[in-house]
Amino acid sequence: MADPNRPRAAFTPWDRRELPGSFSVEESAKRVGHYKWIEMRTFEVLGGWVATVPELDVKLRLGTHTYHHAWHAELWHKRLPELREMNQERLNVPPNDELVAFVDAMTEPEAPDLTIEKLVGVYRVLIPHKIAAYTFHLNNTSTITDAPTVRSLNFALADEFDDWRDGEMLLQSLIETPDEVQRAADRQAELEKLLLAAGGIAGPGSIGSPAQGEPDPESEQVTP
Amino acid sequence: MRKSLPVEDLARDERFVRVPITDRMNDPRSVTNTRMRTQAKLTPKRPDASDAARSLMHGIFVGEIQALEGAGRTCWDFETGDGRDEAPFALKLDMARQCWDEARHCEISVKLSDWMGTEIGEFSEGTFLYEAACNPDPVLRLTGVNRALEGLAIDVFNTMRDFGDAAGDPVLEFCEDWMLADEVTHVKMGSDWLRRLTADDPERRKNALEFQRVVDKLFSLGGFRGEDDESPVKLARRFRELAGFGDDEIDEIAEVAHEALREAQARRDALAADAAS
Ligand SMILES: [Fe+2]
Ligand SMILES: [Fe+2]
Repeated sequence: MADPNRPRAAFTPWDRRELPGSFSVEESAKRVGHYKWIEMRTFEVLGGWVATVPELDVKLRLGTHTYHHAWHAELWHKRLPELREMNQERLNVPPNDELVAFVDAMTEPEAPDLTIEKLVGVYRVLIPHKIAAYTFHLNNTSTITDAPTVRSLNFALADEFDDWRDGEMLLQSLIETPDEVQRAADRQAELEKLLLAAGGIAGPGSIGSPAQGEPDPESEQVTP
Repeated sequence: MRKSLPVEDLARDERFVRVPITDRMNDPRSVTNTRMRTQAKLTPKRPDASDAARSLMHGIFVGEIQALEGAGRTCWDFETGDGRDEAPFALKLDMARQCWDEARHCEISVKLSDWMGTEIGEFSEGTFLYEAACNPDPVLRLTGVNRALEGLAIDVFNTMRDFGDAAGDPVLEFCEDWMLADEVTHVKMGSDWLRRLTADDPERRKNALEFQRVVDKLFSLGGFRGEDDESPVKLARRFRELAGFGDDEIDEIAEVAHEALREAQARRDALAADAAS
């Protein structure tokens, strides 16, 4: 047996986590507030749509996914005070009016023959953008100081990937004609343009700034 | 999408047949067995046990769909907040959780229906559960749906679980027991939210409990549910206690059920007297 008094390093040999991260406490809280806002809009509309879709399999998947996004909203709600944001409603806001316009357009369809439009909005536009913003955050925050956010991002991402696959497969099974392919593509383009104007679910910088190679124009690199 | 979706707009595929609740309860294949005009416990010995159990299963299935739809609408229909016409964030989270549970119950019910030899559309769908879920006050939704109708679901699942046991059907017994656990959770949500949101508002609490009474009475129709052993669906006292019902509240439901049975018997006696004269 190894000598229990022999000194060992604090980090296991396979642990490559680093201290620096791209986000200050305030910047992280701001993003988390935007995440809570968009997760709430997501679970509310999925719940509302359940009664409006006649396809039984879609109905049941939407019901299941409603909970996933509510749980994400709860994770972000609980993270806010840990980021010194004691008023959990102050940052529970959209990043800009353009994102509100996107959400309004995405949640607009109601009629029972608009299942393709409903699913395209969530599964071909919103969820891919959530995956992108969460992945950017995950890859740029400090894996040591911001480990609780990392853990929540990983849980949320696991659901987002699974739900995206469910939604995409539902769409593929619903789309049966070239006209329906066009319908889905038109809807996607309409909503993508709105989300482009918003800059992503967390506003400009949702997935960093490729031109400068910087994570976010508003945040400063923090070094230990 | 509009806030509040009227019951006529509930989306269904072509297999579903929608009827008023009274027609649904008058189906001669139902567990109350209006054809034989008897009140009898659901046991494998009943000559109509297969039809009665399948009918009850189908009723559970469409109830699960509407419970899912109702919980989903509560996530959407209200702004988030503590105002009288708003729903608190934590209440919405509970409703979202209920969506997942009811979606699973639909999945279980479809597979169980198949297992029991029936299929979607063999029996009709009454939409009263969803109608109760359309109430503009979230507290009334929670008392009407979670406490009254899902309280009834506790009684029904308990009955079906016992039926599965007596019939030697471990699949039915297993599934009903799991759904029973979820329903106790949902009824408790209703009890907890009723108390929390009406703690300082006795008038609102009174209205909510009155609404629950109306729903309870309707679903005790014809003595469908009661406390004695011979009721087709027996009041499940123990599970209702777990779900936050006080003894006095359970006594009241038992009384409502008893009253409904007496009224049904009186109607039958009057019909028999008419026929004889
Ligand atoms: Fe259920
Ligand atoms: Fe339930």
